[in-house]
Amino acid sequence: MDEWQRSSLHDVVQAYKSGIDRTLIRENLRLTVEERFQKAMALARFAEELRRAGREARQSKS
Amino acid sequence: MTDFSALLATLSRHEVAFIVVGGAAAIAHGSARLTQDLEIVYERSAANLDKLVSALADNQPYLRGVPRGLPFSWSRVTLAAGLNFILVTSLGDVDLLGEIPGGGGYGDLLPGAIELHIFERRCHCLSLAQLIRSKRAAGRPKDFEALAELESIDEEGGD
Repeated sequence: MDEWQRSSLHDVVQAYKSGIDRTLIRENLRLTVEERFQKAMALARFAEELRRAGREARQSKS
Repeated sequence: MTDFSALLATLSRHEVAFIVVGGAAAIAHGSARLTQDLEIVYERSAANLDKLVSALADNQPYLRGVPRGLPFSWSRVTLAAGLNFILVTSLGDVDLLGEIPGGGGYGDLLPGAIELHIFERRCHCLSLAQLIRSKRAAGRPKDFEALAELESIDEEGGD
Protein backbone atom coordinates (compact mmCIF):
# COMPACT_ATOMS: atom_id res chain seq x y z
CA MET A 1 0.00 0.00 0.00
CA ASP A 2 1.57 3.31 -1.07
CA GLU A 3 1.31 6.67 0.69
CA TRP A 4 -1.64 7.83 -1.44
CA GLN A 5 -3.60 4.64 -0.66
CA ARG A 6 -2.79 4.92 3.05
CA SER A 7 -3.98 8.51 3.08
CA SER A 8 -7.18 7.64 1.19
CA LEU A 9 -7.90 4.73 3.55
CA HIS A 10 -7.40 7.04 6.52
CA ASP A 11 -9.89 9.56 5.08
CA VAL A 12 -12.48 6.87 4.34
CA VAL A 13 -12.17 5.35 7.81
CA GLN A 14 -12.49 8.80 9.40
CA ALA A 15 -15.68 9.38 7.40
CA TYR A 16 -17.11 6.06 8.61
CA LYS A 17 -16.32 6.96 12.22
CA SER A 18 -19.03 9.61 12.28
CA GLY A 19 -21.58 6.81 11.88
CA ILE A 20 -20.25 4.65 14.70
CA ASP A 21 -22.53 4.43 17.73
CA ARG A 22 -20.06 4.86 20.57
CA THR A 23 -22.73 4.21 23.19
CA LEU A 24 -22.75 0.57 22.03
CA ILE A 25 -18.97 0.42 22.30
CA ARG A 26 -18.99 1.90 25.81
CA GLU A 27 -21.70 -0.56 26.85
CA ASN A 28 -19.64 -3.49 25.52
CA LEU A 29 -16.45 -2.27 27.16
CA ARG A 30 -18.21 -2.50 30.52
CA LEU A 31 -18.84 -6.23 29.94
CA THR A 32 -16.39 -9.11 30.42
CA VAL A 33 -15.10 -10.80 27.27
CA GLU A 34 -17.34 -13.79 27.95
CA GLU A 35 -20.38 -11.53 28.35
CA ARG A 36 -19.53 -9.88 25.01
CA PHE A 37 -19.61 -13.30 23.31
CA GLN A 38 -22.84 -14.27 25.08
CA LYS A 39 -24.42 -11.04 23.87
CA ALA A 40 -23.18 -11.62 20.30
CA MET A 41 -24.63 -15.14 20.28
CA ALA A 42 -27.95 -13.89 21.64
CA LEU A 43 -28.04 -11.26 18.88
CA ALA A 44 -27.25 -13.91 16.28
CA ARG A 45 -30.12 -16.07 17.61
CA PHE A 46 -32.43 -13.05 17.38
CA ALA A 47 -31.27 -12.30 13.80
CA GLU A 48 -31.85 -15.95 12.86
CA GLU A 49 -35.36 -15.82 14.33
CA LEU A 50 -36.09 -12.62 12.39
CA ARG A 51 -34.92 -14.25 9.15
CA ARG A 52 -37.13 -17.27 9.84
CA ALA A 53 -40.15 -15.08 10.57
CA GLY A 54 -39.49 -13.03 7.43
CA ARG A 55 -39.34 -16.16 5.29
CA GLU A 56 -42.57 -17.43 6.85
CA ALA A 57 -44.33 -14.11 6.25
CA ARG A 58 -43.24 -13.98 2.61
CA GLN A 59 -44.38 -17.57 2.02
CA SER A 60 -47.79 -17.02 3.58
CA LYS A 61 -48.27 -13.88 1.44
CA SER A 62 -47.50 -15.66 -1.84
CA MET B 1 -25.80 -19.97 14.16
CA THR B 2 -22.18 -20.40 15.18
CA ASP B 3 -21.69 -21.72 18.69
CA PHE B 4 -18.51 -19.85 19.68
CA SER B 5 -18.51 -21.42 23.10
CA ALA B 6 -18.62 -25.02 21.81
CA LEU B 7 -16.09 -24.37 19.04
CA LEU B 8 -13.57 -22.73 21.36
CA ALA B 9 -14.13 -25.53 23.88
CA THR B 10 -13.44 -28.31 21.38
CA LEU B 11 -10.34 -26.57 20.01
CA SER B 12 -9.00 -25.98 23.51
CA ARG B 13 -9.86 -29.48 24.70
CA HIS B 14 -7.78 -30.92 21.85
CA GLU B 15 -4.97 -28.45 22.65
CA VAL B 16 -5.00 -26.96 19.16
CA ALA B 17 -2.55 -24.06 18.80
CA PHE B 18 -4.62 -21.21 17.35
CA ILE B 19 -5.33 -17.50 17.59
CA VAL B 20 -8.81 -16.00 17.31
CA VAL B 21 -8.86 -13.32 14.59
CA GLY B 22 -11.47 -11.43 12.53
CA GLY B 23 -14.96 -10.61 13.75
CA ALA B 24 -14.79 -12.86 16.81
CA ALA B 25 -11.59 -11.12 17.92
CA ALA B 26 -13.38 -7.81 17.37
CA ILE B 27 -16.22 -8.99 19.64
CA ALA B 28 -13.66 -9.88 22.30
CA HIS B 29 -12.43 -6.29 22.13
CA GLY B 30 -15.93 -4.81 22.40
CA SER B 31 -17.25 -4.65 18.84
CA ALA B 32 -21.03 -4.41 18.49
CA ARG B 33 -20.99 -5.86 14.98
CA LEU B 34 -22.52 -9.26 14.32
CA THR B 35 -20.27 -11.96 12.95
CA GLN B 36 -21.40 -15.26 11.53
CA ASP B 37 -18.21 -17.27 11.83
CA LEU B 38 -15.23 -18.06 14.00
CA GLU B 39 -11.98 -17.18 12.23
CA ILE B 40 -8.74 -18.59 13.57
CA VAL B 41 -5.11 -18.63 12.50
CA TYR B 42 -3.77 -22.07 13.22
CA GLU B 43 -0.22 -23.31 13.68
CA ARG B 44 0.92 -25.39 10.72
CA SER B 45 3.04 -28.13 12.29
CA ALA B 46 2.06 -31.72 11.52
CA ALA B 47 1.28 -32.35 15.20
CA ASN B 48 -1.07 -29.37 15.36
CA LEU B 49 -2.79 -30.32 12.11
CA ASP B 50 -3.51 -33.71 13.69
CA LYS B 51 -5.04 -32.00 16.74
CA LEU B 52 -7.14 -29.75 14.52
CA VAL B 53 -8.38 -32.71 12.53
CA SER B 54 -9.32 -34.54 15.75
CA ALA B 55 -10.98 -31.47 17.24
CA LEU B 56 -13.43 -30.98 14.38
CA ALA B 57 -13.76 -34.58 13.15
CA ASP B 58 -17.01 -35.18 15.03
CA ASN B 59 -18.56 -31.98 13.73
CA GLN B 60 -18.89 -32.85 10.04
CA PRO B 61 -16.49 -30.23 8.64
CA TYR B 62 -17.13 -29.45 4.96
CA LEU B 63 -16.21 -26.65 2.58
CA ARG B 64 -18.68 -23.79 2.95
CA GLY B 65 -20.64 -22.86 -0.16
CA VAL B 66 -19.56 -25.98 -2.02
CA PRO B 67 -22.25 -28.43 -3.19
CA ARG B 68 -22.60 -31.46 -0.94
CA GLY B 69 -21.24 -34.76 -2.14
CA LEU B 70 -17.96 -33.56 -3.61
CA PRO B 71 -14.88 -35.46 -2.46
CA PHE B 72 -13.51 -33.70 0.60
CA SER B 73 -11.40 -35.60 3.04
CA TRP B 74 -11.02 -34.01 6.48
CA SER B 75 -7.43 -35.03 7.16
CA ARG B 76 -3.97 -33.77 7.96
CA VAL B 77 -3.01 -34.37 4.31
CA THR B 78 -5.80 -32.06 3.13
CA LEU B 79 -4.84 -29.34 5.61
CA ALA B 80 -1.15 -29.63 4.73
CA ALA B 81 -1.95 -29.27 1.03
CA GLY B 82 -3.76 -25.96 1.51
CA LEU B 83 -3.58 -22.88 3.67
CA ASN B 84 -7.02 -21.33 4.23
CA PHE B 85 -10.14 -23.46 4.72
CA ILE B 86 -13.60 -21.91 4.86
CA LEU B 87 -15.71 -24.53 6.60
CA VAL B 88 -19.20 -25.25 7.77
CA THR B 89 -19.50 -27.61 10.75
CA SER B 90 -22.31 -28.83 12.98
CA LEU B 91 -21.17 -26.18 15.50
CA GLY B 92 -21.29 -23.39 12.94
CA ASP B 93 -19.03 -21.68 10.43
CA VAL B 94 -15.27 -21.78 10.96
CA ASP B 95 -12.53 -20.19 8.89
CA LEU B 96 -9.14 -21.83 9.33
CA LEU B 97 -6.47 -19.41 8.15
CA GLY B 98 -2.80 -20.18 7.68
CA GLU B 99 -1.96 -16.48 7.72
CA ILE B 100 -3.59 -13.07 7.57
CA PRO B 101 -2.64 -9.84 5.77
CA GLY B 102 -0.54 -7.50 7.86
CA GLY B 103 0.16 -10.17 10.44
CA GLY B 104 1.51 -13.34 8.88
CA GLY B 105 1.13 -16.78 10.39
CA TYR B 106 0.67 -18.18 13.88
CA GLY B 107 4.33 -17.78 14.87
CA ASP B 108 4.39 -14.15 13.71
CA LEU B 109 1.18 -13.28 15.54
CA LEU B 110 1.62 -15.13 18.84
CA PRO B 111 4.11 -12.74 20.51
CA GLY B 112 1.68 -9.81 20.19
CA ALA B 113 -1.50 -11.77 20.89
CA ILE B 114 -3.44 -11.56 24.13
CA GLU B 115 -4.74 -14.45 26.21
CA LEU B 116 -8.49 -14.71 26.71
CA HIS B 117 -10.00 -16.57 29.65
CA ILE B 118 -13.36 -17.46 28.24
CA PHE B 119 -15.95 -20.21 28.73
CA GLU B 120 -13.65 -21.69 31.39
CA ARG B 121 -10.83 -22.07 28.84
CA ARG B 122 -7.82 -20.07 27.80
CA CYS B 123 -7.12 -19.17 24.20
CA HIS B 124 -5.12 -16.62 22.27
CA CYS B 125 -6.68 -13.71 20.44
CA LEU B 126 -5.28 -10.88 18.33
CA SER B 127 -4.59 -7.73 20.30
CA LEU B 128 -6.61 -4.67 19.29
CA ALA B 129 -3.49 -3.18 17.65
CA GLN B 130 -2.91 -6.38 15.63
CA LEU B 131 -6.55 -6.49 14.60
CA ILE B 132 -6.44 -2.88 13.38
CA ARG B 133 -3.17 -3.53 11.55
CA SER B 134 -4.56 -6.59 9.76
CA LYS B 135 -7.75 -4.79 8.72
CA ARG B 136 -5.69 -1.89 7.41
CA ALA B 137 -3.41 -4.23 5.48
CA ALA B 138 -6.36 -6.09 3.95
CA GLY B 139 -7.73 -2.75 2.74
CA ARG B 140 -11.02 -4.28 1.64
CA PRO B 141 -13.99 -1.94 1.28
CA LYS B 142 -16.11 -4.31 3.39
CA ASP B 143 -13.68 -3.76 6.28
CA PHE B 144 -13.79 0.05 6.28
CA GLU B 145 -16.69 0.32 8.71
CA ALA B 146 -15.23 -2.43 10.93
CA LEU B 147 -11.93 -0.59 10.94
CA ALA B 148 -13.66 2.65 11.93
CA GLU B 149 -15.31 0.82 14.82
CA LEU B 150 -12.04 -0.79 15.97
CA GLU B 151 -10.28 2.57 15.94
CA SER B 152 -13.20 4.04 17.88
CA ILE B 153 -12.84 1.23 20.45
CA ASP B 154 -9.15 2.10 20.73
CA GLU B 155 -10.03 5.77 21.26
CA GLU B 156 -12.55 4.77 23.92
CA GLY B 157 -9.76 2.98 25.79
CA GLY B 158 -10.65 -0.53 24.65
CA ASP B 159 -8.53 -3.42 25.84
